[in-house]
Amino acid sequence: MLRRAVALVSGAAFVLWAVATLTFFAIRLIPGDPAQAILGGPGSQASQEALDQVRREYGLDRPLIVQYLAMLGRLLTGDLGHSYALKVPVADLLSSQLGGTMLLAVMALVVAWMLALGLSLWSTGRSRFASIIGDGIELTAAALPHFWLAGVLIAVFSSGLDWLPPVSTGTPAGFVLPVVTLAVPLAGFLAQVMRESLLDAMQQPFVLSARARGESTTGIRLRHTIRHAALPAISLSGWALGWLLSGAVVVETIFAMPGLGRTLLQAVTLRDIPVVTGVVLLVALVYVFMTVLTDLASRIADPRLRQEGAR
Amino acid sequence: MPAASVTSSSFGRRSLVLAVALVATLALAGCQAPESGASDEPVQGGTLVYASGDAEPVCLDPHVGGNYPQALLASQFLESLVSRDESGEIIPWLAESWTASDDGLVWDFTLREGVVFTDGTPLDAEAVKVNVEHLQDPATQSSTGYLALGKVAEVEVVDERQARFVLSSPDSALLESLSQPWTAIQSPAGIARGMEANCEAPVGTGPFVVEDWVKQDHVSLVRNDDYSSPPADAAHDGPAYLEAIEWRFVPDAASRHAALQGGQVDVIDNPQPDTVAAVEGDDAFTWINAPRPGAANRIELNSGQAPFDDVRVREAFIRAVEVDEGIEALYFGTASRSYSALSSVEPLAYSDPSRFETDLEAANSLLDAAGWTERDADGTRLKGGQRLTLRFPVSTNQSIPAEQSLFEQVQATAKAAGFDVVIELLDLSSWYGALFANEYEIVSAPYTKVGPDVLRILYHSDSITPAPSGYFANLSQLDDPEVDALLTEAAATSDATARAELYEAAQQRILGGFYLLPLYDQQNSFLLDSAVKGARALPTVSTPTFYDAWLAD
Repeated sequence: MLRRAVALVSGAAFVLWAVATLTFFAIRLIPGDPAQAILGGPGSQASQEALDQVRREYGLDRPLIVQYLAMLGRLLTGDLGHSYALKVPVADLLSSQLGGTMLLAVMALVVAWMLALGLSLWSTGRSRFASIIGDGIELTAAALPHFWLAGVLIAVFSSGLDWLPPVSTGTPAGFVLPVVTLAVPLAGFLAQVMRESLLDAMQQPFVLSARARGESTTGIRLRHTIRHAALPAISLSGWALGWLLSGAVVVETIFAMPGLGRTLLQAVTLRDIPVVTGVVLLVALVYVFMTVLTDLASRIADPRLRQEGAR
Repeated sequence: MPAASVTSSSFGRRSLVLAVALVATLALAGCQAPESGASDEPVQGGTLVYASGDAEPVCLDPHVGGNYPQALLASQFLESLVSRDESGEIIPWLAESWTASDDGLVWDFTLREGVVFTDGTPLDAEAVKVNVEHLQDPATQSSTGYLALGKVAEVEVVDERQARFVLSSPDSALLESLSQPWTAIQSPAGIARGMEANCEAPVGTGPFVVEDWVKQDHVSLVRNDDYSSPPADAAHDGPAYLEAIEWRFVPDAASRHAALQGGQVDVIDNPQPDTVAAVEGDDAFTWINAPRPGAANRIELNSGQAPFDDVRVREAFIRAVEVDEGIEALYFGTASRSYSALSSVEPLAYSDPSRFETDLEAANSLLDAAGWTERDADGTRLKGGQRLTLRFPVSTNQSIPAEQSLFEQVQATAKAAGFDVVIELLDLSSWYGALFANEYEIVSAPYTKVGPDVLRILYHSDSITPAPSGYFANLSQLDDPEVDALLTEAAATSDATARAELYEAAQQRILGGFYLLPLYDQQNSFLLDSAVKGARALPTVSTPTFYDAWLAD
């Protein structure tokens, strides 16, 4: 157990170090001078004095490797640094934006699960026709790009029917379209995976024995096969949350919601390295955390894994 | 030339008339029940929701950096020493009058009496001095305001209401420079709080006050109840009608439009041309078209290197490229073709359509004469094995989709004459990178500034030398001693007629050298719910003002 925990923590630390390193060097490969970003963005007609002062102040005049080590040193002490553009601590900026994005992502995940479960339970074990329909819906949903879906939803439910606001207002109604935009393609993915395992489970002998005991079809689905369907979907959910965070860049921009996605977009445009690094690290952390969590959840859903873990 | 003395004798009288009218209105309002039927009677109160498609500023103080998104917001809570009216005339604002010495080196500004910043600090000459010093301090990191006040050596406090600007050389653009939001006057006590606090909520004398800024979401502005300093061309006096403005950041154009249609927001900026065309004739919306001052949107031809170092090749390009139909079709009639280097809002803009007539045959013979005689399999012309390739970096942040499509038409029509236009869509930082590296033959870059002095920034050979940041504004790399001389002289000439003649001569020479292809004014417009009355764009840099605005039921 202890060995497992050590492996887990060191693995997570490695992932975070790799992410920080890659981000640090990658952002320097794209054109754009951070000193200019600090002085009001690209195209600023900053004076030499101002540029020199900023380079000194932010340590941009030091060799790249020194800057890199300094950043690692700071990260080790938990200091994410200051935003170049917004001049505020990155940690403050992220903590103020994390809540909204996580709420959005979690709601989308829940809605996607409900849609996927409903769809896969409905479409499996029925007629061939239902299965074809289910297949078609899943594939289409999974292939929908966020920006397109968002545009269609706004055109129909905001401009057309005037039911829901196109820009988020912080009210529950303002969340509906963004959540649906994120949830529908994800539900397509999840349902595909679930239906396959459901079909698989339906063929198992225990289903036959349950039937022999007089269990109804619905009973079999809810008490037995659903667990099988859930397993791969659970492990997919860790990946899904990370995927939702990247989808948030598009959705937050279109629906004008505050959050990490828009923060990241703005930071990349402005070459605001500390913020970009901060957001990327945070997303990596969420990934790592979710992997652990889905691991645990799989153990709960599947007794076999629990026994292995107890050995 | 005699001393340029501009005093507004009518200003005091005008205020008095307005004040009397206002008192009368208030008195009437006091004894009457509010009338819902009278639609031209301003209504007090209410919150106006504004959805901005411009980037969210990183700092609300327009002295820091200095870009258009900052100017949009600053126009609601900061004010400048002077403003400009619709005819292009400079008019009083925080300064009620001013005089210049005969040599143009000393300018005395008399400040309006009784104006107080919203933190209680009085507006005095010392405050003006502090603001200029703030703009010129490298630690402020100002670029736009810093450049605008480049010729100001210092500000002296003559007395409480007299601020004296001492210049290092005469500057006929001083008043225009001071009318811009980037040189607006802020509370010295506000500035003294330091950059971080001042970026969050700058303190000015404006009709609204920054109450709160929720990053990535909105800025809350509330009415300044003690407001007393509208510009000379405002429609009323005293505090604004609106109680508050919620300034939201909605980057997606379709979402912005849908929010306006759904009544979630009252005003949007940067409406796309198809949106504007769609609501044309619809009484539910009002369109305010406010082209930005300074330069027109134009395609600059890089004359600093081959092939455009040859005037014949430049002329051939301008003769070959057909943009009229594209502008008509892609902008749905919302943009008019320009034939000037300057925006049509500039009174000194010189326009000459005859220089931009298209003629494919002439283009072909010019290219033949210039030695580009062979063609390869694509139809692209060759000279000594070199293809006639034109690299065209396009900033997706600055060119809206309609403009990007227009550039594709430029590409298609130039091809007929044998030009191979290579469009590269780039984000802003990469786009500047391409310009700094001189990796372009044609480019389109906006430039907003009040007054014709923008010509000096864009076409004087000094602007070819990059600033320390790598920035250079003379993208056509026009290097002509005669243009330099005309523009330098114009910038130092305060006599209006002589100045106008110099600028016209300079523009004729610039257009005659085929250095640029004007397209249209720098597009800038606002769509309003028709319940919003009295809103207008300030004739300085065309930012909206809601001081006179009110919400009808």
